[in-house]
Amino acid sequence: MSGDRKPASLAEALSLLAGAPEAPLLLAGGTDVYPARAVAEAWGRYAPRPVLDLSGLGLAGIEDRGDHHRIGAGVTWAALRDAPLPPWFDGLRQAARQVGGVQVQARGTVLGNLCNASPAADGVPPLLTLEAEVELASRRGTRRLPLGAFILGNRRTALAPDEIATAILVPKPAGETRSAFLKLGARSYLVISIAMVAGLLEIDSGRIAAARLAIGACSPVAQRLPELEAALIGARPEEAAALAAPEHLAPLSPIDDVRATAEYRRHAALVLLRRLLAGLAAPQAQGGSQAA
Amino acid sequence: MAETASATHVRHGSSIGQPLTRRDGVLKVTGQARYAADNHPPGMLHAALAVSSIARGRVAALDVAAARAHPGVVEVMTPANRPPLAQDPDDKNGPFVFRMEALQDDRVRYAGQPIAVVIAETLEAATEGAALLAPRYEAEAVETGLDASDVFIPQMVGPGAPAEARHGDVEAGLAAAERRVEATYETPAQYHNAMEPHAIVAAWEGDRLTVDTPSQGLAWAQERIAGLLGLPPENIHIRSPFLGGGFGSKGVISGPQVLGILAARLVGRPVKLVLRREQMYGPVGHRGPTRQTLRLGAGEDGGLTALHHHVRTATSRFDDFLEPAASVSHTLYAAPAIATTYDAVRLDTGTPLFMRAPGEASGSIALESAIDEMALECGMDPLEFRLRNYAEVEPMSGKPFSSKALRECYAQGVARFGWAGRPLQPRQMRDENGLLVGWGLGTATFPALMFQGQARAVIRRDGTALAETGAHDMGQGAWTALAQLAADSLGLEIDQVEFRSGDSRLPDAGIAGGSSHTATAGIALHHAGADAIAKLTELAMADQRSPLFGAGNMGVVARNGRLLRRDDESRGESYADILTRAGLAEIEGRGTGAMDPAVPEHYATHSHGAVFAEVKIDPELGQIRATRLVGAFAAGRIVNPRLVRSQYYGGMIWGVSFALHEQAVMDKCSGRVMNANLGEYHVPVNADVPSLEAILVEEHDPHVNPLGIKGVGEIGITGTAGAVANAVWHATGVRVRRFPIAIEKLLV
Repeated sequence: MSGDRKPASLAEALSLLAGAPEAPLLLAGGTDVYPARAVAEAWGRYAPRPVLDLSGLGLAGIEDRGDHHRIGAGVTWAALRDAPLPPWFDGLRQAARQVGGVQVQARGTVLGNLCNASPAADGVPPLLTLEAEVELASRRGTRRLPLGAFILGNRRTALAPDEIATAILVPKPAGETRSAFLKLGARSYLVISIAMVAGLLEIDSGRIAAARLAIGACSPVAQRLPELEAALIGARPEEAAALAAPEHLAPLSPIDDVRATAEYRRHAALVLLRRLLAGLAAPQAQGGSQAA
Repeated sequence: MAETASATHVRHGSSIGQPLTRRDGVLKVTGQARYAADNHPPGMLHAALAVSSIARGRVAALDVAAARAHPGVVEVMTPANRPPLAQDPDDKNGPFVFRMEALQDDRVRYAGQPIAVVIAETLEAATEGAALLAPRYEAEAVETGLDASDVFIPQMVGPGAPAEARHGDVEAGLAAAERRVEATYETPAQYHNAMEPHAIVAAWEGDRLTVDTPSQGLAWAQERIAGLLGLPPENIHIRSPFLGGGFGSKGVISGPQVLGILAARLVGRPVKLVLRREQMYGPVGHRGPTRQTLRLGAGEDGGLTALHHHVRTATSRFDDFLEPAASVSHTLYAAPAIATTYDAVRLDTGTPLFMRAPGEASGSIALESAIDEMALECGMDPLEFRLRNYAEVEPMSGKPFSSKALRECYAQGVARFGWAGRPLQPRQMRDENGLLVGWGLGTATFPALMFQGQARAVIRRDGTALAETGAHDMGQGAWTALAQLAADSLGLEIDQVEFRSGDSRLPDAGIAGGSSHTATAGIALHHAGADAIAKLTELAMADQRSPLFGAGNMGVVARNGRLLRRDDESRGESYADILTRAGLAEIEGRGTGAMDPAVPEHYATHSHGAVFAEVKIDPELGQIRATRLVGAFAAGRIVNPRLVRSQYYGGMIWGVSFALHEQAVMDKCSGRVMNANLGEYHVPVNADVPSLEAILVEEHDPHVNPLGIKGVGEIGITGTAGAVANAVWHATGVRVRRFPIAIEKLLV
């Protein structure tokens, strides 16, 4: 389309964005943008919008910044999947291996997955457990939002019309950490999640010093499980699975849809959660990251 | 003449029976195979379909001016300016002619129906132009499900079989039964989803038309296009060397293809039109949904006393194709009383069409499930029960089978799978990880049919030959298997035969459907080669200078490019020598392939098989993995075991898909298919495909046709889908009767 632009720097992109007469569509990997457009076109709902292509901005680095890691907006799932990263990234990297197929992983960006804000976004639960922040830039300056504050609802984020999300910032946890991710879909691969669970434990002297757990596809935005997280502190990792109980899933609000019923989702989420915790108790035995 | 000759000198087994790799394989893996959409004639424009987003009503307005004003848009075709057709696209003049939407009016009959075509210099401009049409509709309420109110009793199902069939007294048989099973099974609408979308490149030159489009029936397509346009068929040239899958959806010409032709006529330039993935969920057919009620009666001894197979299915509101799901019950089990009945509703969808194993696929999963339920009722092993009710003759017709090695299929499948020791009761087996394990069985069957086909064979003076027929390679391997048949018919090595196919200017090979193509086109080639050899033989025998002089037609054999005396093979001469001496550049033979009408009068002709499935199920999540499938199939003469095994694998994977994955989800309010894309219309991914084994059970069929070839393309789905469903039950003890099986139903 005639209004499409591919800026070469962030400054140029922000300037184009600030001066755009109508809000352009921000394009990174395109793996959500294009299918959504195809569906809109299919049913006559396609309102052409100029595209601001961010792939020329050079934001594709994963950097160690001392007290945190910075995952640039251009980092693909494949890059994350293949990067040598510390163990607290294991869960996120397991998610990276299960997002779409390898073609989608090669094109799709991690931050784009957050901006798309699908309830079934595989990136959200692991990044919630990492207490990640999203960095937003505009000509007005740069701000950071915790991921939980960035995603406001189904397909809604706090991104202002003149802002571009430029990075995910992941703080480094203290001490020994273990993390994992489990995904359940109706087929083995290339599937939209029915439910997925991410968890990160900080272990100190054989006891859980901190626990962060999140469940996706069972509410408009993936949810942390604060009560269970609190209940796990002080427990031995091998006790964790037995401590997870149905009432800990109170933050969830699953729905019936074509993929599963709400009741099944609630049930499956608890099963996955217990398996994830059991796996974190015996990390050496943890083979695949598939639910079954 | 040809018959006699073929019986005498055609040698089988030099090419036939060899596991040759695909002759078009290198072309395909190097990207050189030219599919329809790969054609770009000079001056070509791109067309984009605008389709309806409502399922019933009329188009009230289109912003044609906005679309036309878009840079690059050349023309917008609507009912107002669509070039005239000689025939109403809603006329029906044959069993394989379906009503189509070719912009004949402003009516909308289903979501995704073409309502305009935008023609532009680029695909992007055409697509944008289509979006700018911003249609307004007058919408009416839609019917989308099998519970629609207007139920009718169809007279015909499938392409023209009587809907109702009865043999014996079913009600008496049920009344007398000591065991009864009544169960209702549902199968959803499914869409063919060939990887290659329907595509057409149409180029006019005066009143002559060249069309590149994937076709499973070139002669039908040519005739249909010619009829619609009011042109002689010979003015229509269709090229279809390769199809990226068809599965029935490319068996008849669809509305969008006709619109591509009309768009080219309107603008006076070649036009390419390619359906988008979601546009393949409307105008190009689908497998109709079914709700099937099986009523079975059996005696104490496990012998069936009655079988009633009732099918509720659906067609469109404007045309008829009714999924013939009960036909499988005519064939498989020896009940003394069988009835098959139908009723149907009309929905605001595109018209259903034949989709790989039409009837048998849907019917088989229901029948095989019900048979398993009855076996349990009788306390019998599912295989023992099937053998107890083994049909020695076709139960519905009473005719003997032309061949039936089903017992051998069971025996070889059982041995290979390791069925022995299977507990009768469900939920008895676990694997080392605690997963529930289940084993299931399904009997496979598909009719051995033939259409009518022609072929031509030419032996050339240099000793090589040409064989040609307008056959269709949709991935099954026709380029290879038919060339093998042609080579043998000519007594030549395969590399000495130039094989031409995939073009409407060649002799009509019949449709590639009904698992009949190898038999139909192959026997046409077989007879054409035999005819050419017979003529060559006559030439030689009549010539005093030939060592074959006076040998008599029965006394000659053709081998390796030479005719030899049967009584003394040291006496013979090459084809080249015979033609050279006769001063002929070449000699031509012609042949026809068709079922001898006496065969179906006297015999039931079917392929058979037995499929054994293992599934593993997560007891806490219900997650199902098919882990192992063994299919043993008997389908007469196997022309190319490598290709046939591939066909079985493909069918078996399709069967897994039928049982566990595939369904179109319809929005009840809008009438749209909500998962009209390959992300959400699930078929198995590689990780879902189990270990597969296909056993080719030897079977000699002396009746079905001169080469004893039956079909292999569709049978793999049948049997498999039921085997997987039965294995799921055996693993869990939960009998799910709605397909695909939802994992959440397996939690107990």
